[in-house]
Amino acid sequence: MLSAGDYQAIWLTLKLASLTTLLLMIIAPPLAWWLARSQTKIRPLIESLVALPLVLPPTVLGFYLLIAFSPEHFLGEWWLSFNDTSLAFSFTGLVIASVIYSLPFVVQPLQSAFVHLDKSYLEVSATLGYGKYERLYKIIFPMLLPSFIIAGALGFAHTIGEFGVVLMIGGNIPGETQVLSILLFDHVESLQYSSAHQLSFILLAFSTSLLVVIYGFLQKRQQRVLNA
Amino acid sequence: MLKFNIQKSFKGQDKHSKDLHFKGEVDLSGVCTIFGDSGAGKTTLLRCLIGLESCTGNITFQGQQWLGSNGNNKIHKLAVEDRNIGVVFQEPRLFPHLNVQQNLELAVRKAKNSTFTIHHLAEKLGFSDLLSHQTTQLSGGQKQRIAIARALLTNPALLVMDEPLSSLDVTSKRLLLPFLKQVSEQIPILYITHSEHELFYLSKQMLLVNDGQVEAIGEPQKLFLDSHLSLIKFAQQGLILTVLVKEYDQQEALIKGCLDGQILYVSAEQAPTTSQIQVKINSRDVIVALKPIEGSSLLNCLSAQIVDFSQDNQKAVVLTLQVQSQSIYAYITLRSFNKLNLAIGSHVYAHVKTMSIIN
Repeated sequence: MLSAGDYQAIWLTLKLASLTTLLLMIIAPPLAWWLARSQTKIRPLIESLVALPLVLPPTVLGFYLLIAFSPEHFLGEWWLSFNDTSLAFSFTGLVIASVIYSLPFVVQPLQSAFVHLDKSYLEVSATLGYGKYERLYKIIFPMLLPSFIIAGALGFAHTIGEFGVVLMIGGNIPGETQVLSILLFDHVESLQYSSAHQLSFILLAFSTSLLVVIYGFLQKRQQRVLNA
Repeated sequence: MLKFNIQKSFKGQDKHSKDLHFKGEVDLSGVCTIFGDSGAGKTTLLRCLIGLESCTGNITFQGQQWLGSNGNNKIHKLAVEDRNIGVVFQEPRLFPHLNVQQNLELAVRKAKNSTFTIHHLAEKLGFSDLLSHQTTQLSGGQKQRIAIARALLTNPALLVMDEPLSSLDVTSKRLLLPFLKQVSEQIPILYITHSEHELFYLSKQMLLVNDGQVEAIGEPQKLFLDSHLSLIKFAQQGLILTVLVKEYDQQEALIKGCLDGQILYVSAEQAPTTSQIQVKINSRDVIVALKPIEGSSLLNCLSAQIVDFSQDNQKAVVLTLQVQSQSIYAYITLRSFNKLNLAIGSHVYAHVKTMSIIN
């Protein structure tokens, strides 16, 4: 059966994924809206930066983050000016890295929904008396709820599957940075195959069921709204 | 009162830009119809007026400035959401994630002391049993009725409609036209249409748009007779007349009507529900004679006077015949015109086959 260490890693992974998803759901909608609507010249650049984690080896991203988090550099130094411990090898560091790493998975479904959104719904909302921001939060975002759930679920699932970045900046501290994917690697390295089997199966089952829900159920609802 | 003087330029693909310049002043009571050919700029004018399309110039509505410059050359534009207008578009544009009731509640939430209620409008427009339905399950006619209710629930100072009935079936139109006429007694309506029938039925005032400009503003009956307007070619094909209903003969399926004191028979499958009907007499269906024709199947013979005539490039002649307060056009050959020795002021009898009158 699962050991206490396994449970701790599961709990930590869920905590990391939930917190990351929460932060992403705050950052991503305005960013995706801007990417979908803006005509400025720097838009392609920002769009590329957001998409970078899709193509870059996670270890590259992790390496640069490790450097940025170190006390010799600006971000790490600034962090240490009001904290006792370094940003690298900390849970907070993992959250920051996960937000960057999973950003495209949340931004892209939202951006696609916003691009396909018929402008006429915004016009109607305005004629009903809803102001510039009010119409988004009270009408348009609820209308695109399936897309928001898909975006959040993809961000959550992707954070759970994160390995390379965590390997670089995590430091494998139980209860602090030792997430499921790292613990699984540890089990395999120490030849504890039965523990590795259990963790692998949990991750496989979870990811499969989440994707089935997204593609089987939510995507249909999303299409229904976008094609209406 | 709605006063506007606005410009808008479109950049075409081949670098030719098209400039639209609309200027006018309409007294808003009842329905004011925006009429014109497709591509004339009706929808653009309307969208500029309500603020959905950017343009430059001035717009004032009942003393409130919607667009203009204040003092130091700064452009002042009142946001659409602050203009207190209800808008019905050509398509219903209901929100797909909400049911009918929830769609309507969105409008109610923003309305200040509305005179309308969801319950009342649902009953009046016949969708009470649809309130809990998803909007994606409804037919086009049902959706548009709900869209009209939604616009009214915002308690607007002006109701703006862009060809709201154009894609609807006859039954829905029959329900909505009298309803809109009734609404217009409380709320002024700015109404785009292609249909002469809707124009003459609803409005006392029309705004004729042609080639990106407001060509004329006035009563439809007058503008359709004005030979200086671009409308004239279209108008001369046939005019809409208002006929008072006297009796309906069920057996012969015939309405006996009264046109300016003269009898006019109109065929109708069903008894009319209103005391007035609108009919259209095509100018090609009018036979002009100096004496009433006897011994023929013709039922309608109207005594009239020629007040104007013009010749088209096929050499045929269009006569404007005044019955009394209303007029009809008659399209005849030059040979007939000469044979009868017609001139302005001539008194003639206009015959129209009952079956060719469009009810």
